[in-house]
Amino acid sequence: MKHLNEIEMIEHYYKESADMAECERHLKECAACAKRYAELIRDLKMVKTPATPERGEDYGDQVWQSIRNSLPVYEAPASRWTWHQVWRPLGWVAACALLIAVGFLAGRHWERRQAPTVAVNADPHARQRVVIVVLGDHLDRSERLLVELNHAGNLDAAATAPLQNEAKELLATNRLVRQSVSDTGDLAVEAALDRLERLLVEVANSPGKLTEDDLKRLREEMNTDGLLFDIRVLRSHLYSQPNGSQDGSRSTKGALI
Amino acid sequence: MRCMEESDDAIRRAVLSGDKDAYRVLVARYGQVVFRVAYRITGNETDAEEAVQETFLRGYQRLKTFEGRSSMATWIYRIAANCALDIVGRRKPEMGIGEENDPEKREVQLADSKAGPDRMLLSREIEAAQQAAMEGLTPVERTAFTLRHMEDCSTEEIAAALNIAPNAAKQAVFRAVKKLRQQLAPLWVNP
Repeated sequence: MKHLNEIEMIEHYYKESADMAECERHLKECAACAKRYAELIRDLKMVKTPATPERGEDYGDQVWQSIRNSLPVYEAPASRWTWHQVWRPLGWVAACALLIAVGFLAGRHWERRQAPTVAVNADPHARQRVVIVVLGDHLDRSERLLVELNHAGNLDAAATAPLQNEAKELLATNRLVRQSVSDTGDLAVEAALDRLERLLVEVANSPGKLTEDDLKRLREEMNTDGLLFDIRVLRSHLYSQPNGSQDGSRSTKGALI
Repeated sequence: MRCMEESDDAIRRAVLSGDKDAYRVLVARYGQVVFRVAYRITGNETDAEEAVQETFLRGYQRLKTFEGRSSMATWIYRIAANCALDIVGRRKPEMGIGEENDPEKREVQLADSKAGPDRMLLSREIEAAQQAAMEGLTPVERTAFTLRHMEDCSTEEIAAALNIAPNAAKQAVFRAVKKLRQQLAPLWVNP
């Protein structure tokens, strides 16, 4: 028979024994252990719990008042919800902006790959054809304007305005065409376009309506007849070139005197 | 004014949200219990009062670390035991050398201790012996024994309160019981 040692008895007394039933059974069967256990109980029961001095019902409040001023205030945590509310729409906006940017870049990339201008720039003949077409159109319009100027009498304000507007548009185009022709080194065409430009400047920037005297002066100073002739020569020369051949509809665009 | 019936967790959240005064409810709710534990560990009112204040100060400072694995009552209880133990530990070195084991001095100390109504019923000799025996324990032994014997705490609760291993807590209780019995044994020669 294995007797209980003091530690086991203490464990049993405080009901922390691993096997309470076995200890209980042994204490009933073993007189020696029962005697020692009774002595332990006697000793421990003698250790009385000291009476605690009374504290009033407001003791908690007294303690609170004594420590209150020593306590810092916790900072309320920053509301994640609020930040979430702010960042969420911003996130959507950023995502949309990114999507648009990606779409834009992709579109540009695709456009570059598909653009015929690449082919035009790469092919000098194609570029020349474009210049000829533009130049042909410009010469057609310029010819019509000169015809109108040569045959105009005393124009009223209503008739002058369209003429001046046309001159302004032709002036802008003429500058671009002249620059393009200059790059090709065709001096005859460049000279004709230069003369045309001076005439267009006069017509476009003429203050008020063009009187008969104004028109007469322009015809004489600018030699519009000669200019008209040069343009017709150029146009016919242009259309006679292999690259400048145009269909029937184009050939009929020239104004008849 | 906060309602006394408000849950501990609701109060904790309120305090952490910046409502310092919400803590007053916890102090009022557990003040008496903390004082009782502190008094039983320290053995005198002044130290117990100090332990109560320190307990609630520490509790407030550590409120963020409370994870809710135990109840708020248990958590505060542990802090109280620790605070009381610290005070007992601080008090010990202030005693004169040899004073602790001098029966004559001890007798004087015990005569000065406050007597509760229950204690008045005990014989002066037994009371003095018990007090002397308790004084002879180390702070950890005394706290472990107080929590075990007077507060009916489990070994795990004692271990948590003292921040030691459960086995160490159990050993502290055993050592305390042995020492107490040795101190009280002479009383049974002529009971």
